[in-house]
Amino acid sequence: MRQELTEYDFIWSVNNLLSTAAKTAKGTPKEYQALLKRIPHFADLIDSMVGLGEPGIVFLESFAEYTDMILNAKAQGKKTCFTTFCQSPVILHAMGVVPLVLEVLTVAGTLIRKSAIGEFMDYCLEAGFTETSCSSQRGSMGAYLAGLAEKPDFVLIDTPGICDTNANSFAFAAAHFDIPFYQLNYPPTIDDDRAIEYHRKDFKHMISFLEEQTGKKLNVERLRELMLEMQRQDEMVCELQDLQRLIPNPVPGIYNLFIYAIRFTLAGLPACTRMIDVMLKKAKENAKANRAGTTSGKEEKRALFVYIDHYAANLPLFNFLDQHNISHLGGILDRYYQEDAFYKGSTSYKTETQTLDAMIDSLARQNAHLPMVKQIRGPYDSPEMWLEEIKRLAEMLNPDMTIYSGTPGCRNTWGMVKLLVNDLEKTGYPTHIINSDAFDDRVESWEATAHRLQEFLDLRGFN
Amino acid sequence: MDPIFNEAAIKIQNSSLLEYKKKGGRVIGYVCSHVPEEVIAAADMLPFRLRGIEIKSTAIGDSYFGPFVCSCPKALLQNAGEGRFSFLDGAIMVQACDSMRRLDECWRKAGTDFPGSLPDFFHYFAVPHKVTDYSVQFFAEEIEKLAKAIEEHFKVSITGQKLDEAIEIYNTTRDLLVQLETLRHRDSPPLTGSETMAIVLAGTAMPKSDYNKLLEATIEDLKKQRAKTHAGKPRILLAGSVVDDLTLIDAIEAEGAVVVADTVCFGARAYSGHVEKGDSRWQTLARRYLNEQFCPRMFGYSNERYELILQKFKDSKADGIVFQNIRFCDLHGSENGLFNKRLDKAGIPNTRIEREYGELADEGRVRMRIGAFLETLGRGKSAA
Repeated sequence: MRQELTEYDFIWSVNNLLSTAAKTAKGTPKEYQALLKRIPHFADLIDSMVGLGEPGIVFLESFAEYTDMILNAKAQGKKTCFTTFCQSPVILHAMGVVPLVLEVLTVAGTLIRKSAIGEFMDYCLEAGFTETSCSSQRGSMGAYLAGLAEKPDFVLIDTPGICDTNANSFAFAAAHFDIPFYQLNYPPTIDDDRAIEYHRKDFKHMISFLEEQTGKKLNVERLRELMLEMQRQDEMVCELQDLQRLIPNPVPGIYNLFIYAIRFTLAGLPACTRMIDVMLKKAKENAKANRAGTTSGKEEKRALFVYIDHYAANLPLFNFLDQHNISHLGGILDRYYQEDAFYKGSTSYKTETQTLDAMIDSLARQNAHLPMVKQIRGPYDSPEMWLEEIKRLAEMLNPDMTIYSGTPGCRNTWGMVKLLVNDLEKTGYPTHIINSDAFDDRVESWEATAHRLQEFLDLRGFN
Repeated sequence: MDPIFNEAAIKIQNSSLLEYKKKGGRVIGYVCSHVPEEVIAAADMLPFRLRGIEIKSTAIGDSYFGPFVCSCPKALLQNAGEGRFSFLDGAIMVQACDSMRRLDECWRKAGTDFPGSLPDFFHYFAVPHKVTDYSVQFFAEEIEKLAKAIEEHFKVSITGQKLDEAIEIYNTTRDLLVQLETLRHRDSPPLTGSETMAIVLAGTAMPKSDYNKLLEATIEDLKKQRAKTHAGKPRILLAGSVVDDLTLIDAIEAEGAVVVADTVCFGARAYSGHVEKGDSRWQTLARRYLNEQFCPRMFGYSNERYELILQKFKDSKADGIVFQNIRFCDLHGSENGLFNKRLDKAGIPNTRIEREYGELADEGRVRMRIGAFLETLGRGKSAA
């Protein structure tokens, strides 16, 4: 690894860049332009964020707040744990544990430390990890393995039974650091009595594990307070996502990324509420003016992402869609299955806070419905799994096309995506598979990815 | 050694299987070490572990699976599409690893494109990823569910008595295979790793009652053997991804070594641990088959698997360990990486190889790596 990459703590550098970026917007236009010239590597990204107005700036501030929490955890006597993006962080916040959400931190790294994150990924290989593993963890995990961020106290994940490469990364990290490991483990079905009972027992077991690691009993009142706040956030997210059904869709595509990044790090905390609130406000303004969420305010086509987005530096996927006036209708990372969600189908979760048991059941059920945990736990064409969900979303969101983007490390979706695409095409949705790596544009450059995407648009008559 | 062992090891439709079918026997295929064979046997059917041998390409597999998927399930699908599994009356798909679990959908879809390739009985079997009281309970229920599905589909009855008989037979097989393994620990192993693997593989592809008799006789013969055929050769412990054919072990032994032990799927995993007697047969089966030492798909048990490897290394008096993983098998690949570093620190010679599955293996490259490893032991061909 190049020496310059080892000079600063990874989390500190993310925090420093984002918090400084958020402050730039507070200067005069002249000051702002002068500043951009001094940060050529980040100028495009910062300019994109600031250009979004309040939501962009609040996102920078919110993510800076999250990384502040990480940096100050030990000083505040808090434990830290590696965890997955599809795990609800509320229980961790209630226990005073700071979640280190590796996937989200990798995205932050790809956005602002392009050259570094690749080397962090490669460092994992030096530690014995496989190159074919999912890049979404390998980025930030490499920084931790290399000692460029403070070692976590334990690992707590919810992907066994859902995604091997994800779960395996965390098991690897636990073994490497020789720290305690806990897994929430999922059966291939979601809503039958056996699965529900399994989720419940597993979640209770997890609370015992957390109590053991922190040396504290669960603070029931604190949990209730966080859950009530999360319920408010859920309601706002549902409202925001409901707006995506409008033609034109008034929700800017980048908001899908913001929801993902904030929901899985700060859910239940006021920073998350503030972030969703400003996005909702802006989307409502657009809706009122019959404006699309694109920069031009126009919507020419609508794209539903069936998996995740692409997170290369400067967010080129979002820019590509924006420049083509294509509305982004969300992806798997934005589907949570609250009872108010328009897409909920036959299964959803409800936030209950009357008793501790009700809260635990509610959180266990919520976790079972979070992205990936819900859709790809069983055969893709089983009830409530991937195919049924995408078809239902497509019926309700009216996309012109559906797009798969993922990582080569995603063994689970690559094992069935061809089947999914065939079914979607037969149903009448032109579907494109992006073959690149969403977190590592060394695998396929964004230019090549964009070329293929453009070819798809041309061939299918979207231009 | 009875020639049927070798035949069953290299040929899916071996003569023992065909004879069994000729007599009207029914066969259920399965794809993972976590499937309790006793349930199938108790239904008077033959449990047959599916393998991807004999294929010349994965063209059919590649049509359904994506490109970044392990070649093992692709090879299985290839065999299904090419009709080599036409003798199956049923198949059990398992939520094993992410590559293998998707064989369920891919095979079902291929079934429509290749008529006759999909057995009528096609069952999805869930296996938890950890061992707790509630996961064992869940797994016991899953086993019971499997039994009921077989009973319903085939109009048979899986009684307690039949289960007890099957458990007895399968425990006997395990005992015999442990005896076979112990013979390999001799300073002069009476048989090669390839010969041993042929014997073990045959046990997954022929009726167990016949197999046990042949195996018992073979072990008695081997016990008497005193020739020092393999004495002095570098002794290798093989670990990592599934090994279900002879080509990899043949490649290692062609370099002058002898494989004296393993921890691989189809190898030692097939016979580790007994099904204990207990009140609930589903529970006792669940306890044996939900084994944290089987496979890194059981997350968080790396230390237990490491200890198993150390124990095997010691018992077999191995000189070195060959870790291998099939490309895209991140579970074994990354655990191999962890073990590689720990063993290096402990001063135990080991090497780590990535390869393709089965007969698609790049033999030349593998042999070169093995040859180089043996040289580091001071025991390679050139050292000799």
